[in-house]
Formats: sequence, structure tokens, C-alpha cells
Amino acid sequence: MNPVHTTLLILLLPLFSAAVIALGLRRQGAWAAGLSTAVAGAIAILSGQLIFSGQRNFPAAWEWLRLGDFVVSLGFKFDDLAALMLFVVSFVGFLIHIFSLGYMRADAARARFFGGLSIFMFSMLGIVLADNLFMIFIFWELVGFSSYLLIGHWHERTAAAEAAKKAFIVNRVGDFGFLLGIIMCYWSNGTVNLTALGAQHVPSTLIALLLFCGAAGKSAQLPLQVWLPDAMEGPTPVSALIHAATMVAAGIYLLCRINVLMVPEALTVIMWIGTLTALYAALCAVVQRDIKKVLAYSTLSQLGYMVAAFGLGSLTLRHEMGGVVHEMVVATGVGAAMFHLTTHAFFKALLFLGSGSVIHGCHHEQDIFKMGGLRAKMPLTFITFTLGVLAIIGMPGLAGFFSKDAILYLALEKNTAVFAVLVFTAVLTSFYMIRLWKLTFWGTVRSDHAAQAHESGFTMTLPLVVLAVLSIIGGYAGFFSRLAGAVADLVPEATGAAHSTILLVSLGVMLTGASGAWLFYASAETDSLEGKFRLGFRGLTGLKESFDRLYTYYVAKVQQRLAMLLNFIEQIFLAGLLIRGLGGVVTLIGYGARSLYTGSLHTYVYWFLLGTALLWAFAVGIF
Amino acid sequence: MNSLHAQLLQLAIATPLVAALIMAGGLPKRFAVKLAGVAFVVPALIAAWLWQQFPAEGGASYHYLSNLDTGLGRFGITLKLGLNGIALPLFLLAATVGLAAGLYALRSGAERLRLYLTLLLIMQGGLLGVFASVDIFFFYFFHELALIPTFIMVGLWGGRDRNYAAMKMTIYLTAGALLSLLGLIAIYVKSGAQSFDLIELKAVLAHQGLAPTVQKYIFGLLLFGFGTLVSLWPLHTWAPLGYGAAPSSAAMLHAGVLKKFGLYGLIQIALPLLPVGAQTWAWPLALLAGIGNVLVIGLITLAQRDLKQMLGYSSVMHMGYCFLGIACLSTIGSGGVVLLMVAHGLSVALLFMLATSVHHRTHTFDLTEMGGLAQKTPVLAACFVAGTMASIGLPAFANFWGELAIFVALWKFSPGLTAVAVAGVVISAIYGLRAVARIFFGPPSEHLQQVMAQHPPADLGWGERLPALILLAALLWLGFYPQALSRSIDQALPVGLAKVSVGSVTVSPAQP
Repeated sequence: MNPVHTTLLILLLPLFSAAVIALGLRRQGAWAAGLSTAVAGAIAILSGQLIFSGQRNFPAAWEWLRLGDFVVSLGFKFDDLAALMLFVVSFVGFLIHIFSLGYMRADAARARFFGGLSIFMFSMLGIVLADNLFMIFIFWELVGFSSYLLIGHWHERTAAAEAAKKAFIVNRVGDFGFLLGIIMCYWSNGTVNLTALGAQHVPSTLIALLLFCGAAGKSAQLPLQVWLPDAMEGPTPVSALIHAATMVAAGIYLLCRINVLMVPEALTVIMWIGTLTALYAALCAVVQRDIKKVLAYSTLSQLGYMVAAFGLGSLTLRHEMGGVVHEMVVATGVGAAMFHLTTHAFFKALLFLGSGSVIHGCHHEQDIFKMGGLRAKMPLTFITFTLGVLAIIGMPGLAGFFSKDAILYLALEKNTAVFAVLVFTAVLTSFYMIRLWKLTFWGTVRSDHAAQAHESGFTMTLPLVVLAVLSIIGGYAGFFSRLAGAVADLVPEATGAAHSTILLVSLGVMLTGASGAWLFYASAETDSLEGKFRLGFRGLTGLKESFDRLYTYYVAKVQQRLAMLLNFIEQIFLAGLLIRGLGGVVTLIGYGARSLYTGSLHTYVYWFLLGTALLWAFAVGIF
Repeated sequence: MNSLHAQLLQLAIATPLVAALIMAGGLPKRFAVKLAGVAFVVPALIAAWLWQQFPAEGGASYHYLSNLDTGLGRFGITLKLGLNGIALPLFLLAATVGLAAGLYALRSGAERLRLYLTLLLIMQGGLLGVFASVDIFFFYFFHELALIPTFIMVGLWGGRDRNYAAMKMTIYLTAGALLSLLGLIAIYVKSGAQSFDLIELKAVLAHQGLAPTVQKYIFGLLLFGFGTLVSLWPLHTWAPLGYGAAPSSAAMLHAGVLKKFGLYGLIQIALPLLPVGAQTWAWPLALLAGIGNVLVIGLITLAQRDLKQMLGYSSVMHMGYCFLGIACLSTIGSGGVVLLMVAHGLSVALLFMLATSVHHRTHTFDLTEMGGLAQKTPVLAACFVAGTMASIGLPAFANFWGELAIFVALWKFSPGLTAVAVAGVVISAIYGLRAVARIFFGPPSEHLQQVMAQHPPADLGWGERLPALILLAALLWLGFYPQALSRSIDQALPVGLAKVSVGSVTVSPAQP
């Protein structure tokens, strides 16, 4: 099949599925689930065919809107970067569809859920395939909408409804900058086509930073990170697909897409925001009790790694040749960020689905202090989850080890301070993940729900196994290079002394964090951290809440009060109390019209009819 | 063939008016309802057919032209009808919203239904006439024809404060209309064309434009006249009050369609005939609209507790975007405005209608007294969410394209104002989603539990579902395929407009 047709089919199939579900399958949950999953499967097959056929950069663009010189087009840019992302979205997406078949079986609004998943697939694939910034923005907003739908799936719960609203609004704050950046880019370069921008553009720090706002919103970087932990109110498959593996990674993908527009100043900002997000989120993760919240903060932290990697590795190199300073943007950051994005998608989807399996097995218990001893009751979940944990903490030989090392190596080469922070974050990662793992699967059973736990069904365990395999092999060159093509060549690789340093550091980091957690949570009736380091615990909790408090304060005390004040003034006008006192046009109009019409409707009608009649009479020559 | 189409255009306008006449003549109620239904459907079918037949490259000129002598020839007034690339989208809008509002009214169970439908039909005829008139006297006349039923409907079937609202609306809208009439007559007099025919006026003034000072004054008259009708800040105060009180079908037609009269007049008449005047007023207009309509009204919308008031304010806010687009004086900006006019018309009509549907089930418009309705009425909730998303400019709905084009054009005019305007998008997301959450999500309030215990809420019936689906389908259709209208709009926008500012990247925008 013609690659353009394949791509179109990949993009439009989920839209078709969503439309059919919305119009005809609202009450047929099973049919809706089947259709949505079948479509996801078809996309996975078509994507596989497209990716491994080796066809790249085929021309495909259509005019979408034209007003004067302003043209928005709908087009595809399918290079190795897009191919890699397409693989992640379509395959992880398909696996999560299968998982949802089991997880959402008993849900009353199953059709809406699967319709939402289809809308999500449509929007996300649009971002992946888009060849220009306006088109990315369009699908960008649509992913935000599908995220809103799915977070708010259980809308009768106030928390879920609030979380959905918050996610959408915070993303829109990011998109505020993003859209301005795109428009500015359009006017200063005359185009927003990615290929054309790559060929020629005017460098601008402001454009780069404005565009980064979009990425910061979607990938939940400081200070816009507040929506992601709350988004865990959505069903767990949604958390796995949207809020771990794909949508939140779209920010990183965007950055890699617009790599050429970056300038050193902007990259420094991006690097520090990523680094701080990684650290902040890891600190917050340590004090969480909810299994999904731990994973959510962990996702934030890993996204911080990717953003930091992008900022680090895309820094401009200066070198002098014959008195002339040459500047060169290197793209190792793109390689490292996309590498980690891919492996993270595998193991984080695995961890979330594993947590979903646990939650499902424990009758919707999410507090890890009320679990324990699930190792024997849910063996398959335990084994796969363990592999996911080992992958994220960087156990040599697993996917996360390779990709995290690439980032640490980059940091070591470029910026010692960032390196130090990222290493410390890695210790924390190891600590909170082993804490989570131990409290959930080891030790004594600590609640009735956990005591009655059972292994999940086939549709739920199969994706776990596949993702576990991917979490093992995902980091090897034989796998990743075949998948990522030219992007894989950009991944920085440590050699010689640096190689040993990185290996030793990351092993030390992993063992420190892991053994710390293992020993510290020896018996886990309550959070021993809270007991033993009360001050530290409170500090971390406060840190976690500080942003929410600040924003709540702003919304309630500043924004809403300003709105109330303006409204009060407005109401005075509305009630007409001041109309007579204020002078000016309003008063004149009011008086003039009132004297003519005396406020009676019927008078106005009579005036109108009389005027018309007189005019007519005059024209026809009656007088 | 063309004369057949011209006759169809006449028929589209005449059908609702004749039907209204027959009904006023005392047609029994059961026939009246059927006749009204037919009279709402016929113009919609004709409009769709005329849109489909519209020449692909012919947006710049008028088609389906016909000229009827009305005995006013000695003033240069004839009933000249026709559609160009800008009039066509709005004619289609009027027909679509008219159909939805009409279908909704048929099943609304209003008291004195026959009179209600008669007035609605007069409104509908007037609206179709406004956008099909090439003669600017009749353009104005049809507007008045549609306006009077609005006042009466607010006064008779209105909700809270209906008398005050009706009076205030009457005063403001009549004053605005008078100012703009003054401006239109001034153009007629000063041009020396001896004709109200827009085509002729354009030809005469293109040859010999009006003196800059004259243009400045006339444009000012038109701006504030039309501006009042479109709720330009601070002349907007009639709008939330009026829409708060208006019965739903009247609010749908007025906020959705009739309000666009002023914007249409500015784009179709004022900009091409008075280019210098437009430049003088561009900055004052942009500041009033950007700071006043978008920012101040946007914040005020955040403070609303009453659903209909909130919709009224949000509509005022979105008119700010239209004014900003006009102030850009560019093809991109004006094109965006026409797209947004159509899109806003569809979405605001949908939301006003659904607000009434919500009221039927909750017996209140107070947002704090609602909650949890989605559990009982999922289809209503889905439609309302879709309408809200359209109204806050989510891509895939028509509104997005209009706003996008306006933002793009505005950057060339003033990056600072663009930032303000885009910030408005965040504000509208806040009030839109807050309202959705308060009405539909979470647990029901105590008040609502009591109401629901007595009147178990039913989901949208077909009388409500059909109009909602018509409007939603139109919004999505344009959202996915904006070219359906944007092509003819693009062709119709005068080339001279592009020359003034943003035509190409190198030319600088109008001076501050």
C-alpha cells in the first residue's frame, strides 16, 4: 500500500472508531470495547508495516485553511524520529487497549471510556505525524481534551471532576505560551513547516522558550507539574497510556521535533527546569502512600530526566578556527531523551498496568500500607512488576539502565552540578521504588482487601508479560537501533574511563537507594519515615503541597477576587444606578432614546411602522 | 438557471414571512405548528442548496442577484438581493440556527405558542433578509424587522427582570441602530452615488474615495452604532441582562445570528468603503475590545453564578475577538472574524438552548445549586460539554479556526494585545469547564436532590436532541473542513484590505 494511504489510515481509523461509538454504540459497551481495540490492533499492524518498510519522508500535505497569505496545512513528516514515536504510541496503545478489556469489564460507562481512548489515539497520532507547528498545536489541544474526558471518567466523584478540569486548564496555561510561540515563529520565519524551519530560520530565544511552555505543560514540568499527580483519579489504564507512556512524553517529542530552533540560552533554562523537576518529583514520591501517586511522581521525575537530557545534549558547542568562532548545535540530547522516552514508555506502562492489576486484585485498595504479601497471591503480576522496578532503578542489563546511563554520561560531560542532582535523584528513585515494591509484595498481609487478592485475568496479564519483555530488551542496540534508525545514532555512549565511572556511579546509586529502602521499611504497619524523621517527612509533604497551595491562593484570593470586584462594578452599571450620574455617551443615548420611546415596547413598534409607512408614502408621491 | 436560484433566494426569505402572515391571520393552532415547521425547514434546504451551487472561484462577486422595485426608486432604494463570499456563510448560519431554534420552539410548549412561532418566523425572515440584501437600506430594514419581535418576545415570554431587560435592550439596540443608520445615510449622501446599492457604492468610492475627515466621522458613527449592537465594551450592558431574560429560541436567534449584523456591516460595508476611517479607529477599537471585552468581561464571566448570565457574558467576551480581528485590517483578521461569527453563532445558540434544557431539569439557573446531572442525563451532558469545548475554541470545532486566524493577524498588529487575547483563551477554559463541572459532575446539590425527587429528570428528548445535533454537526463539519466556507470568504475579502497591512510579511501594520 502507498505509504501516504497507510499513514492516513493510521490517523483516521481511531477517529472513525470514536465517531461510531459516540453515535451508535453508547449502550453497547462490549461492542465499543471490541471496536476500539480492533482499531488499535489495526493501527499497530499498519504502523509496524510502515516503520519496518523503511519508507521515510514521503511527501504528503493538503491545504486545510487559507485566508490571504495565511495557510494551515495538514501534512505528514515521517522521519526516523516520528517512526520511533509511532512505534511507542501504537504498540503501547494497543497493549493498554487489551488490558482495559479486562480492567474496565464491569464499568457502566465502558463505551465512553473506549470512545475516549480512540479519541486519544487519534489526537496523539496526529501529533506524532504532523509536519508543521499549527497542526501539532491542533492535535496537542485535542490530546488535552481526551485527557480531560478520561481523567474525569468517574465524574460523579468530585475529585475526578476537579482533576480533569485542572489538567485541562493547566495545559491551557502552557498552550498560551506555545501558541504565541508558534505565531511568533510564523511571522519571523514565514513558515511553521518543520522541514522548512530545519532548512532556514531566524534564531530566537523568545520563540524557543515560548514553544517550550507547551512542552512544559504537557510534560508537567515545573511549575506546571501540579496536574499530573491529580490526574491519577482517572482509570489506571489511562494513567498508564496517557499519563505515563505517551501523552506526557509528547512534550519531549515536541522538543526533539523543534530541536533546530533551540538556542543556548533557552537550552540552559530547559536543562535546569528538567533537572529541578526530576529532583522535586523524586522527593515528593518518597512520602506518597497511594501506589498510583508514587508512580505519578516517578513519571514526573523521569520526564524531568528527559527534559534535562534534551537541554544538556543539545547545547551549542563553540570552537575557534582561525580566529572565527563557530557554533554548532549538537543533537545528542535528542538521542538520549528519545532513548529514555522509549524505555520509560515500556517500563512505566508496565508498572502502571502492574499497579492496575494490584488495585483490581485488591478491590480498589490503593494504599500501599494496606497491601503487603501479594507476591504469592499474584505471581505473574509480581514477576513482571519486579522487572519494571529493576528497569526503572537501573539494574544493569535492563532497558532503564542503558537509557539512564546515557543521560548521566551526558550530564557528566556537560555540567557537574546537573550531574550531581541527577545522581542524587537516582538514589531517591531507587529508594522509593524499592519501598513501593517491598510494601506491596513482601511482608505481611495488612488488610482484608489484600488478603482476598487474586491474580488478574488473561487480558490483563498478557500485556504485562509483553511489556516486561520490552523492558528487558528495549535498551539493547540490536532492538533500539532497528527501531529508531538515525535517532539511535545520536545516543551518547560513554567510552574508556568515563564508561567505568558511569557504571560504578549508577551501580552504587542503585544499591544505596535500594538497600536503604529495604532495610528502612523492615516492618511496615505505618510509614517509618514519618515516625523516625518527623521533621523531614513534614518538609517533604509541605514541598509537595506548596505549589498547590500557592495556586489555590492565587485562584481563590487574587483572580476570583478581582473577578468579583469587576463584577460588582459591572452590576452597578447593569442596574443602571450610575447611568444618570456618569455623563458621556451612555447617558446621552439613554436619555435620548428614553424620551423618544418612553420605555414601552409597543411604542417602538408603532414608531417603526409609522416611519416605514411615511417613507413609503413619501416615495410613492402621496405627499 | 441563475434566475431560478435568484428566485430560490427570494423564496427563502419570503417563506417564513408569509407563513407568519398566514398564522397571524388566525390559522388554527394544529395547522400553524405544521406550517411553522415547514417554514423553518424550507430556508435551510434552500440555503444548503445555494451553498452547494455557489461557484468555486466566485466568492468575490455577488450571485443569485435579483432586483425588485419597491416604489422607493427615487431614493436609490431597491430590494436588491444576492450573496457574495461573505454573505453566503452568514446566510447559511441564519438558516441553520433558524432551523434549530424553530424546531426547538415547536416542541418547547411555550404559552401562546402560535404567537411565539409567528414572532420567531418574522425574526427568521428578517435575519435571512439582512444577509441577502445588497441594498444597504434593506440591510438595515431587515435588521429592524428581526429586532422588534426580539423585544416583544423578551417582554412577553422573558424570565427574571423581563420588563427591565426588554426596556434596556430596546433603548440600547435602538440607539445603536439609529447611529449606524445615520452612518449609512451619511455614506449615501457623501458618496454622491444616488444609490443604496452596495455594489454601486463600492464602484463609485473605489473610483473616488471620501475625504479622510469624512471617512473618520462616518466610520466612528458606524463603529459605535454597530458596536452597541454587537456589545462592544462598555456599551455591552444590555447583553447579559437581555439574554438572561430572553426565552431560549429568541436568545438563540439574537445572540447567534442577529448580533452578527453589526460585525457584518463593519466588514461588508465599513471596511471596504471607508479604509482611511478604519485605520484611524483601529487602535481605539482594538484597545476597547482587547482590554474591555476580552480581559475585563472575561474576568467578570468568572464571577457569574447564573448560567444564562454567564453565557451572556462569555458571548460578549467572544465578540471582543471579532472586534480585534476587524481592527487588524487584514484579510487574515477579517476572514477569521467571518469564520468566528459563524462558529460563535452556532455554538452560542447551542449553549443557550441547552441552558434551557438544563433549567427544565434543575428548575434553576444558579450554578451553585446544581451538580451531578450527567448521571441522569448523559446525552445532555455530552452535548453541553461539546458546546462548551466549541465555545472555548477547542480544535475540531469551527470556533478554533476563527480564533486562530484572528490571533495570527493580531500579532502583526500588536504582539502585546495578542498575548492578552490568548490569555482570554485560558480564562474562557476556566469559566467554561467550571460551569460544566458545577452542572453535571460530582454529587447533586440538596436543592437538586429535592427537585429530582419530585420530577425525575429525563435525558434529551428528540425535540431537544435534533436541534442540538444539527448545531453540533455544523460546528464539527466546519471544524474539520473549514474550507467549506473559508474559500469563498477569502475570495470576497477586498484586495485593498490586504494592502493596508498584513498582506505580506514585509509590510508593517497600521500605525499606532
